[in-house]
Amino acid sequence: MNYRTLLVSAWVALSALTGPSAWASSHREAPLIANDPLADNTDLYCFRSPDDPNYITIIANYIPAQLAFGGPNYASFGEGIRYEIHIDNNTLTAGDDVTYRFTFTKTNQDPTTFFNIRLGQQNLLTMYTMEKSTDGGATWTTVLTNGLVPPPNIGPRSIEGAAGLGAGSYDALIAAAVLTASSGETVYCGPADDPFFVDLGGIFDLGDAPRQNNGGIVRDGLARTNVHSICLKIPISLLQKDGLDVSMASSILDPDFVIGVWASASRPAMRTLNTSGYTESGNWVQVSRLGMPLTNEAVIPIGSKDQWNAMTPYQDLANIATFGNYFYNPELALYMDDDLFGGAVPAFTGLRIQRNSLQGFDFGNGHSGLYPLKGTAAVAGTALDDAIFGTLLLPADNSPRSVDLWPIFHTGVPNLAPYQLATGKGGNPLAAGKPFINNFLPNGGDMLRLNMAVPVTQRNDPAFSSLGIVAAAVSGLTDPTYAADASLQFIPNMDGFPNGRRLEDDVTRIELQAVGGVALAAIGLWYDDYNAGNPNQSPVTNLLVNVLQYSTGVEANDAAFKTTFPYVASPWRGTDI
Amino acid sequence: MKTTKNLIATGAWVLASLTSLASSHREAPLIANDPLADNTDVYAFRSPDDPNSIIIIANYVPMQLPHGGPNYYSFGENIRYEIHIDNNVGTAGDDIIYRFTFHKENEDPSTFFNVRLGMQNLKTTYTLERSIDGGMTFQAIKLNGIVPPNNIGARSIEGGAGLNSTYAQLMANAFHATSTGETVFCGPVDDPFYVDLAGVFDLGDLPRQNGTPKDGLACLNVSAIVLKIPISTLQKDGLNVSAATSILDPDFVIGVWASASRRTMRTLNADGTQDYMGPWVQVSRLGMPLTNEAVIPIGSKDQWNGLTPYEDLANIATFGNYFYNPELALYMDDDLFGGAVPAFAPLRIQRNSLQGFDFGNGHSGLYPLKGTAAVAGTALDDAIFGTLLLPADNSPRSVDLWPIFHTGVPNMRPYQLATGKNGDPLAAGKPFINNFLPNGGDMLRLNMAVPTTDRNSPAFSPLGIVAAAVSGLTDPMYNATASLEFIPNMDGFPNGRRLEDDVTRIELQAVGGVALAAIGLWYDDYTAGDPNPVTQQLLNVLTYSTGVDANDMPFQGAFPYVAMPHSGTGECSGLAISYTQPAVLDPSDGQVGMDNLSGGAMGLTAFPNPIGDRTTFQFDLKADGDIRMEIYSVTGKLVATPFVGKLTTGTRTIVWDASGIAAGTYLAKAVDAHGVLLGALKLTKQ
Repeated sequence: MNYRTLLVSAWVALSALTGPSAWASSHREAPLIANDPLADNTDLYCFRSPDDPNYITIIANYIPAQLAFGGPNYASFGEGIRYEIHIDNNTLTAGDDVTYRFTFTKTNQDPTTFFNIRLGQQNLLTMYTMEKSTDGGATWTTVLTNGLVPPPNIGPRSIEGAAGLGAGSYDALIAAAVLTASSGETVYCGPADDPFFVDLGGIFDLGDAPRQNNGGIVRDGLARTNVHSICLKIPISLLQKDGLDVSMASSILDPDFVIGVWASASRPAMRTLNTSGYTESGNWVQVSRLGMPLTNEAVIPIGSKDQWNAMTPYQDLANIATFGNYFYNPELALYMDDDLFGGAVPAFTGLRIQRNSLQGFDFGNGHSGLYPLKGTAAVAGTALDDAIFGTLLLPADNSPRSVDLWPIFHTGVPNLAPYQLATGKGGNPLAAGKPFINNFLPNGGDMLRLNMAVPVTQRNDPAFSSLGIVAAAVSGLTDPTYAADASLQFIPNMDGFPNGRRLEDDVTRIELQAVGGVALAAIGLWYDDYNAGNPNQSPVTNLLVNVLQYSTGVEANDAAFKTTFPYVASPWRGTDI
Repeated sequence: MKTTKNLIATGAWVLASLTSLASSHREAPLIANDPLADNTDVYAFRSPDDPNSIIIIANYVPMQLPHGGPNYYSFGENIRYEIHIDNNVGTAGDDIIYRFTFHKENEDPSTFFNVRLGMQNLKTTYTLERSIDGGMTFQAIKLNGIVPPNNIGARSIEGGAGLNSTYAQLMANAFHATSTGETVFCGPVDDPFYVDLAGVFDLGDLPRQNGTPKDGLACLNVSAIVLKIPISTLQKDGLNVSAATSILDPDFVIGVWASASRRTMRTLNADGTQDYMGPWVQVSRLGMPLTNEAVIPIGSKDQWNGLTPYEDLANIATFGNYFYNPELALYMDDDLFGGAVPAFAPLRIQRNSLQGFDFGNGHSGLYPLKGTAAVAGTALDDAIFGTLLLPADNSPRSVDLWPIFHTGVPNMRPYQLATGKNGDPLAAGKPFINNFLPNGGDMLRLNMAVPTTDRNSPAFSPLGIVAAAVSGLTDPMYNATASLEFIPNMDGFPNGRRLEDDVTRIELQAVGGVALAAIGLWYDDYTAGDPNPVTQQLLNVLTYSTGVDANDMPFQGAFPYVAMPHSGTGECSGLAISYTQPAVLDPSDGQVGMDNLSGGAMGLTAFPNPIGDRTTFQFDLKADGDIRMEIYSVTGKLVATPFVGKLTTGTRTIVWDASGIAAGTYLAKAVDAHGVLLGALKLTKQ
């Protein structure tokens, strides 16, 4: 029985596990920013627009856990804050290649009332200016002025009522706020349902996700809450480093179509309070940033979170002495290892890191991982060859996750051995295999990296999965349609997290699976219960099945996403929840 | 026709059978963006279980989701949280100030969890200082006060990997005695306030005209400072309450307000730290509930938060008119915007009280009486209180709303119940309140000499003084004479504020003119001289309710009285979703597993395969046990379960009727009771 057949035999069973299927990504994730909600960046999404594949949609959310009825001064974007979306598209240029900056102003149309909306007038009416830089922030062009932010969705009397705005509907107000920048982007800034879903209460009660003693109930802690979204729909040709349209891509994994995206909020360094307000002055200081979800929430420990928020991704490598080890030996891995604290977190029992993969490799915290291979003929010509990527992937012994978690968060993953699926590898994880991802852009650290050339999986396709690349890997390993050979072909969900991030992607689950070693397994570093010496055993062992079927139980958002821009669901109405 | 007594009894009964806006949650634009310094509510009441002490509670940090981790809410560093007490008209400014400053520490900076292995991050402690000279000098009276951790969940609080305690114990550990005799607690609690936020701020839709009222603050926590203070510490001359000359002794009035201040300068540093320096500036204040929420309009809210009560009078040119002609009154007047707010239809201000007095916004109220013999010797006499109560024409609410918020109410004509007035509102009547302390503006004023109403008494009412007034006017037990006597709920809002008091309802009723009615300025449908002043309009006001009449959690009978905070993993921790975790499989043994397409270790076969309308599975079972056979489609969907049950060791067959199955490729899979895969087989349906 050959290796491929063994894998295919597992495909149907795995398909049952990876069907449509949470952790707040970065809500209140660090001590200081938790106290500055207006500048708190909660989530960042980046995906090819499913209804218009010549465009990329980027969504940056701010102001966490808004209660829709939080009046009389409902939350909105803050003044005196620079909200920015940064895009890197070229390894050769330092820093951002494209930056979008949003600044907001508020006006009271009727300062004589305590109501937010009355008789057609709106208080704290919020407008914005959108600027764009294509030279790394040296110069800025204003591409939209007087952009309208819809009012909060207070209730029917305030929105539709005659004593209120007399609007046709709240969605009509959203539609009126979908604007076009002079440089060709479509933009929306305003309230939205928080698209993120997660059992916050469970996970932060010492990792109790899914909840173990709760009568079969888990809870979406962000259900029925709103955020403020900045949504951008950008032609691919504006994002591609040479101005190329996606039709020019040389393949669906064309390395020239990778972008790295991150978002931030900055405030002036000095704030001076006076008797009825404050003034601000000084240099702008970054107070919040977000690239990959959950980085600062569940990877960076509390002692370093505030510093992390102040750095740009381009500073991450310089600070690797501080931050690298949080990825090489992640805290979460302590709870997925029976020799460490695995016994203390029963909810993670299904997640057990490879301690003896292929009867030779130990990825437990503090162990060697693939380090023993460093400099050997086995890794020559692979990404692990120091001659190719330097020492980034095998920086030191006892840093086992330098080969999977660190690059997923810091450089993206190249289409190069060993980062190809086990399909076609003939049992050798270091051999060439089936390509499934190429979002390699080693220019800076924590960013959300998307290869824009990867086709879109339609959201209503039966093959669509919130498990993103994990689902694509399972298909590429086990589905006869894709596992027949190692050729590059589109596998559904190759456009999913961590190749960018779609609104539907269950990033909490995927990241916990990744900490549990699923990416290592995908490239052939199977779980401990696979006996490399047994030609008749499928590598799809029970331990792999456990990881694939692991779920937090909160697998989808509480509101349906829209099929067209701005994709996020309309904000919850104050009087409806 | 019913007798007057019956009518009055009806009014009283309806009222007694009923029992509630957030007080100051996110009430002004700037403070809404600085939650740590946002003062939400202040309470002051005589301890029901220890009437020699006064309880003052100041709440901060609104709308905390119980599950708001990983950095759960707490008091902030670099903020001065202060409780201010005025007890003496003769001294300017505060007579007593309690100042709380908090400090946070990470016991284990290597984790992202808040609590792990007995260690707590962002662990908060405080210093309590007290000044009795108006803030010139402070004395530390409690050091290293403990703030309990957040009520994260059972694993963090009770578990061995957590703190290995109980939340009640952690809370009790945080009850501290100061060196000067106060008892103090600082920590997270259930927000005792209740209000239909969504309704009220949707243009006053309270109670909601379409839809169910909802307590917008249910399931949310706040950070509370709770002080229990001996009355003798608060009374201006150090007297105990037993020395009070009457239950309305004017020397036992205190005014209470709370604030939060920050340093003028904040500097953000490139390494993610912050520095604070410069003098302290007040950014939040609270005395009477809802003042800055629903009285002060948005254009003045931030300025209001920057002022102390002692500056209110100097700023009366800006703020006075918000009380003289309040915005809310626009919506209770059919000549103005009454028609636009149907929910307030029961609340209609006196426009023609006693066929002579118009309290509608912009009208004269009692101003025509100014300087006349009729007001001589009353509180409205310029010779007595100056021109504060009748400052100008067209300021109708200068006689009721303004003093309730700014000076307290003296036990003096006309501020006595109509009982005994014989139809003349300016005559002497039955005393019911004396919390007059005209030293500064917006404070919560409490006469500490007023006895407590037991919370379990049938007479207890969250309508506070409104309930007491109704009893004093209509209950034969109290309305027989104009003599001073204790009427239940005289210890309630606006004479101080108890946790239970429905201040939203009371204040809306007050804007609707209920205090005017209580002193004999009856509603328009009463004709002066009629025996029964309890008219339909008054009943409408008294029976008005917001639909949210009580807190979502019961209060505690003893210190700190507020309810424990909601748990981060309890009912209030998000939208419930059913989920059953699949069994975690034991590791494959390296031999067994989904071995191959011909059926695995159990030798699973199917004949025929490709299959028609039926097929027969055969396999070799190596041990007795529960077996489940399932058929999956290529997309992984379970399409059939041919067998579930016990089988014994040996060669076994199962016949499957596949007639309802579409042509295509399928997987047959057999698992044991633990979900361990015993065999799998590819099937083709023709």
